[in-house]
Amino acid sequence: MTDPGPLALLAWLLPAAAFLLLGVAVPLRRSAAAGWTSVLLAGAALWAAFAAWRAGTPGEHARILWEWLPMASGPLATVGVLVDADSALMLLLVAGVSFLVQLYSLGYLEGEPPGARGRYFAYQSLFAFSMMGLVLAPGFVQLFVCWELVGLCSYLLIGYWYQRPEAARAAVKAFWITKAGDVGLLVGIVLLWRHAGTLDYLELLDLVDAGTLPLAGLELITVGIYLGAMGKSAQFPLHVWLPDAMEGPTPVSALIHAATMVTAGVYLFTRTIWLFAQTPEVLAAVGWIGAFTALLAATLACVQADIKRVLAYSTVSQLGYMMAAMGAGYAAAGFHHLLTHGVFKALLFLAAGAVIHAVGTNDIFAMGGLARRMPQTAIVFLVGTLSLAGLPFFGGFFSKEEILGAVWVGGHPVPFLMLAVAAFLTAFYMFRVVFIAFFAGPAPGWATAAAGHGSTVARGAAAGHGSVAGHGPTAGPAAPGAHGATPPGGAAHGPGTAHAHDAPWVMIVPLWILALLSVAIGVTVVPHRAPDFEAPAALPWVAVLLSLGGVALAWLAYQRRAVDPDRLGRALGAVRDAALERFWLDEAFTAVYRLAVLGVARIVGWIDRYLVDGVVNVLSAWTLTSGDRLRRLQTGLPQDYVYAVALGAILLIAWSQWAR
Amino acid sequence: MPLQAYLTLAAVLFAIGLFGVITRRNTIGILLGIELMLNAVNVNLVAFARFHADAAGLVFTVFTICVTVAEVALGLALVILIFRVRGTAVADHLDLLRG
Amino acid sequence: MSLEPVAFGALAVLLIGSALAVVLTKNLFHSVLYLALMLTGTAGVFLLLEAEFLAAVQILLYAGGVITIVVFAIVVTERLVGERISQTSRSLASGAAAAVALLVAVLAFLRDAPLPAARPALADDLTRTIGLRVLTDYVLAFELLAVLFLAGLLGAIYFARPDD
Repeated sequence: MTDPGPLALLAWLLPAAAFLLLGVAVPLRRSAAAGWTSVLLAGAALWAAFAAWRAGTPGEHARILWEWLPMASGPLATVGVLVDADSALMLLLVAGVSFLVQLYSLGYLEGEPPGARGRYFAYQSLFAFSMMGLVLAPGFVQLFVCWELVGLCSYLLIGYWYQRPEAARAAVKAFWITKAGDVGLLVGIVLLWRHAGTLDYLELLDLVDAGTLPLAGLELITVGIYLGAMGKSAQFPLHVWLPDAMEGPTPVSALIHAATMVTAGVYLFTRTIWLFAQTPEVLAAVGWIGAFTALLAATLACVQADIKRVLAYSTVSQLGYMMAAMGAGYAAAGFHHLLTHGVFKALLFLAAGAVIHAVGTNDIFAMGGLARRMPQTAIVFLVGTLSLAGLPFFGGFFSKEEILGAVWVGGHPVPFLMLAVAAFLTAFYMFRVVFIAFFAGPAPGWATAAAGHGSTVARGAAAGHGSVAGHGPTAGPAAPGAHGATPPGGAAHGPGTAHAHDAPWVMIVPLWILALLSVAIGVTVVPHRAPDFEAPAALPWVAVLLSLGGVALAWLAYQRRAVDPDRLGRALGAVRDAALERFWLDEAFTAVYRLAVLGVARIVGWIDRYLVDGVVNVLSAWTLTSGDRLRRLQTGLPQDYVYAVALGAILLIAWSQWAR
Repeated sequence: MPLQAYLTLAAVLFAIGLFGVITRRNTIGILLGIELMLNAVNVNLVAFARFHADAAGLVFTVFTICVTVAEVALGLALVILIFRVRGTAVADHLDLLRG
Repeated sequence: MSLEPVAFGALAVLLIGSALAVVLTKNLFHSVLYLALMLTGTAGVFLLLEAEFLAAVQILLYAGGVITIVVFAIVVTERLVGERISQTSRSLASGAAAAVALLVAVLAFLRDAPLPAARPALADDLTRTIGLRVLTDYVLAFELLAVLFLAGLLGAIYFARPDD
């Protein structure tokens, strides 16, 4: 068996080579070959990752380490790779999705100026390198460095179209919020080092197994580490950056905000669950917050009109699922869902990107009946939706059922309930999108300003034409709170497209690959992984029923129009209104920022100006005044000096007298 | 008379001389005050020389007198020079060193 | 009753009186004359202290030379001014305070100082002793004194040169 270590190392470093090439060789970056360079090297990395996965033996790990920060009592930090079953799989996921996304981007970003495209691919390669470094990290230091790098790449890629103020703001918001969590992670890591003396995973695992890891103070550490995961994996309340991150190009959303970067938090838990197992209260809190996030995001997804936002909230919801499984103590369940979710969410995003690319708008109410014009895209989108909704024979079914089982067996009934409701809602909102965008024809309540044509083709064209030209429909009256965010003219498929159509081969092929993978995982890999708990036998049936119930409701509401979504919405009254305002979380964050950060800044500024500066100014003023006054002693008259001498003499004599 | 008497006399003369130096306006007046002080010092020295039977005090006095003579000569030459340049011998006006 | 205390007392009165006159008289010329009186009185004190040589030197140099110089200076400046120089005094109070304070300090010092009570016997030829001591023990000072005079002489000549 070949050693997986060097293969993993190769897979890790190939994207770095791509980044360096594109970064240094400016003519290459500006040329049309930039994308192909990155794609080819990403493909090579995928091959290396696949080989590393095949070369690994279960239960064994391979490690390559270099000392980075040497110290007398053992190195403070090491870099290298740690390849075991989990990290090999994750590496494969990252490499695979990264390659497919980059291939897809060749088509999606066709209309971009070459310099910007080169920049995009350079950042994609940097991201791949950082994410793989995170996955393969042998200890917390490399993890943290790559964690931050990944955050940086997210910022760079969200803000790819930085000329748009919304994109720039979204990039900064993502950076800020994840940074807030990262502070917790850093504090946790530092405290852990003080606590245990080492930051290497295997050494820490040995300490835990030997029982020599002191338990007092471990809670603070695990809370700190969880905060980092909270930020990156968009748990409530630090989830607000993920919907805004949709301002970036769709392939970026697929790669970073669905499959890889946001799962870094979950992966971290997979890696270090044995540490968290020492602090059960923290783990319970993790589970609760995860379940709540799942439910919250699912409700928010039900009222979105922008297709990417629906998927974004869906991602938040699924991340909540994964964390709930972690909280129940069964890290494997969460990790499996991470893998399957990575595949089908990337698929969904890329398919949505194909739709956006063809139609020219993100608004689902400006689409309709696309299944006829874009059959391939419709099929793959449906495959992804079925997987996400958790219907049998698709990958998502098994992993979601595993999570539900884990939470039930772990003894958390309320989180289980929240997850169950979220499962129902997941099926509902996803099929809502499917029916509105792909299958349903135009409805009377959804008349657009440029209405008139019954043909879905013309309506799609009018919608595309109208919204790009600036006037026209951004939302129907039945879709409150719609976000009509359209990509800038350069990336759209061009105004006045007469018909929507399936995307070019560079975009379609990745879609099919991902779709097939979704099904394949569902049929072959996942069912053979035996979970380490016994779930109640009725559980799969409950899960299927919930999903089918959601599908049925969506079908009734949006396809058959037997149930009026408006009335349904009014029935849920307050919840719907709150959901439309995103539960006022963004406002809350802004208020906290104004109060806390700016308030503290003002106080500090006042102290600096009046106290610190004041002291210095007072001292200097006194120096000047006393100098001015003392100057008058120098009269220039010699008699006054004689007088002074006489005084001095008297003083000397007097002192000598008293000193006796 | 005991030694204290002579020393007291010298001290009184010295104090008077100091008073003159500080209060006189005319430069020559100041020089006269200086003369008084030096003279008092001489009395002091000679008294000590007598009461310790040491001629060194007398030698010192001779030196003091000689130095005083030279100083007076030059001092007065300076006064005249200042007078030529500044037009005044009043010490209050000689305040070029004023800070 | 010995003559010495009487003589001392008289001389003391003379000295202090003339000193006060020197510093308080308005007319500068009169001040100089009082100074001459005081210097001569000092010679008398030297005689009381059996330092005859010094008394002679005092009269020769001080009462003779210094007074002459000062008188010349006054005459010259009076001529330049064109009138009699009369002077007023400034800040009498602070000057008096400083002088009295110094006096008190010195007297306090003197009160506790260990001083010889009686006059010891003197060698016969004091003048000879002085001369010997000057030229042997203190010859360096003597030579320096000579240099000082030379410098003074040169300085005086320099000052006295006409302006051209």
